[in-house]
Amino acid sequence: MKALLEVNHLTKQFGKDSKALTDVSFSVQEGEFVSIIGPSGAGKSTLLRCINRMIDATGGDIRFQDSQVMNLKKKELKQVRTKIGMIFQHYNLVNRLSVIENTLHGKLGTKSTLAGVLGLYSKEEKQQAVQILNVLGLNEMIYKRADQLSGGQKQRVGIARALIQNPRMLLCDEPIASLDPNSAKVIMDHLKKVSTTMGITVVVNLHQVDVAIKYSDRIIGINKGQVVYNGSAKGLTSEDIQRIYGSEADDLIFDIGGIHAG
Amino acid sequence: MEVKEQLRNVTAPADHLIGGRMPAKPLNKAAIVTRLTLYTLAVLTIYAFFSFDYKELDFMDALLGTFANLKTIFLEPHLKHFSFGHALYQVMVTLGLAFLTTLFGAIIAILFGLLAAENLSSKKTSMVIKSLVAFIRAVPTVLWVLIFAVAAGLGSTAAVIGMTFHSIGYLIKAYSESFEEMDRGVIEALQASGANWWQIVFQAVIPSSITYMISWTFLRFEINFAVAVAMGAAAGAGGIGYDMFMASSFYLDMREIGAITYFILAVAIILEIFAAKIKRKLKTA
Ligand SMILES: Nc1ncnc2c1ncn2[C@@H]1O[C@H](COP(=O)(O)OP(=O)(O)OP(=O)(O)O)[C@@H](O)[C@H]1O
Ligand SMILES: [Mg+2]
Repeated sequence: MKALLEVNHLTKQFGKDSKALTDVSFSVQEGEFVSIIGPSGAGKSTLLRCINRMIDATGGDIRFQDSQVMNLKKKELKQVRTKIGMIFQHYNLVNRLSVIENTLHGKLGTKSTLAGVLGLYSKEEKQQAVQILNVLGLNEMIYKRADQLSGGQKQRVGIARALIQNPRMLLCDEPIASLDPNSAKVIMDHLKKVSTTMGITVVVNLHQVDVAIKYSDRIIGINKGQVVYNGSAKGLTSEDIQRIYGSEADDLIFDIGGIHAG
Repeated sequence: MEVKEQLRNVTAPADHLIGGRMPAKPLNKAAIVTRLTLYTLAVLTIYAFFSFDYKELDFMDALLGTFANLKTIFLEPHLKHFSFGHALYQVMVTLGLAFLTTLFGAIIAILFGLLAAENLSSKKTSMVIKSLVAFIRAVPTVLWVLIFAVAAGLGSTAAVIGMTFHSIGYLIKAYSESFEEMDRGVIEALQASGANWWQIVFQAVIPSSITYMISWTFLRFEINFAVAVAMGAAAGAGGIGYDMFMASSFYLDMREIGAITYFILAVAIILEIFAAKIKRKLKTA
């Protein structure tokens, strides 16, 4: 089967000689749940942002569906972006607007400029928003302002905003890094459900190795801008973790066997 | 903006105290210069009073006369050359001038404010607009009116253009700084979903900055009201300012000046109350 996303020999250089990514290659299948792990500064966020060109890579190529992402013109790029939802550590909602308004923002990319500017959404779009918010357990919050929500609720609105795009893929940059363990679990469960029931591909940057192992089909380990592990979550050994996290690995004291058992 | 600069000035000496040793005597270079300046000004002031050409003027008489005038103006106000209704109408004209120039200024400033905000525009465009704005703001409103009066002639046209011009400069600075407060991540999130610049501006940037924008616009409206009064007198722009000018230089009717002053004061107070109400509402909204 042809992969949904293919990244080949991707490099990214900031400034003169700080290489954030070096020759990164991997592919992601339709419906797969992939976690990217690695120490701080390894290049996880940079990699994710290169995929939808929030950052322009320096070299290599990226194919998403049938599009060569690196060669896209402005308009085509917007078109491709409507097919890729993005979720952020700090939720990035418009605080002064309501939950449903924030959710509907996911539709802007497919609207005309004028309709988007005036915030004119069709009945179907509003119904879809309500339905997605229901699924995410936010039915009571629809008209609440975003800044009145808890972190976990905000992140669920973030997911709703991404889902209303009808995306083929979700890119999540540390979606649970600012959440308490319970909210984090709710968010991860929702992402997993999105992947299994809706068939949406999920690529997620994570700091917690145990969470990555628990939820992912596959894990990509990055160290200093290079892929050092690319394989199943089950196959991840302590040596692999040592390789991914380097000297930091000693601080990540946990029992790998225990995680796999759980 | 200005407030921030003032804050910096206030904290500067404190930094100096914390940073270095506490000086034994609070007599450093800055203090000496300040003191010398003050002494010099005091000496010059006293000298000036002696060197004025008083002619036949008795200082005491003049002082008493001034108080008498003030008393006439403020304690015995009346309207003689025009009616209350006329005064009300003229206040409306002045308010209209202030409103119109603020509205024009606000509309134009929104567009240029967006282009001047570094996070919504390019660094170069932002720099160019900000420098231009700094220049426009450096020249007082009254001067702009007089500059435009060269082409348009002294009158309401020059007043509208000149006041609008300065309002644009003022509001571009205010708006663009509100826009720059905007969380970068929110803009990124909408860009990532394929939204375009206009959609992001109207769906995220303006809703996030609207309270600041309204506050700044209202503040400018109050300024423009004061300027509009002055323009009525100085540039023949009409309104209550012109009546004041007539009362003082043409009819020499001090009581009428008093009445008009009270009128303007009342309007200013009403505006102030209104502004405070709006701000409170915005804060809770
Ligand atoms: N805009 C930028 N300009 C210059 N250097 C950058 C920029 N963004 C990232 N970098 C550098 O690129 C490298 C990778 O950063 P990146 O944010 O991708 O790391 P990360 O793996 O996401 O880290 P974290 O886990 O802390 O989020 C870092 O060394 C960082 O300093
Ligand atoms: Mg990161």
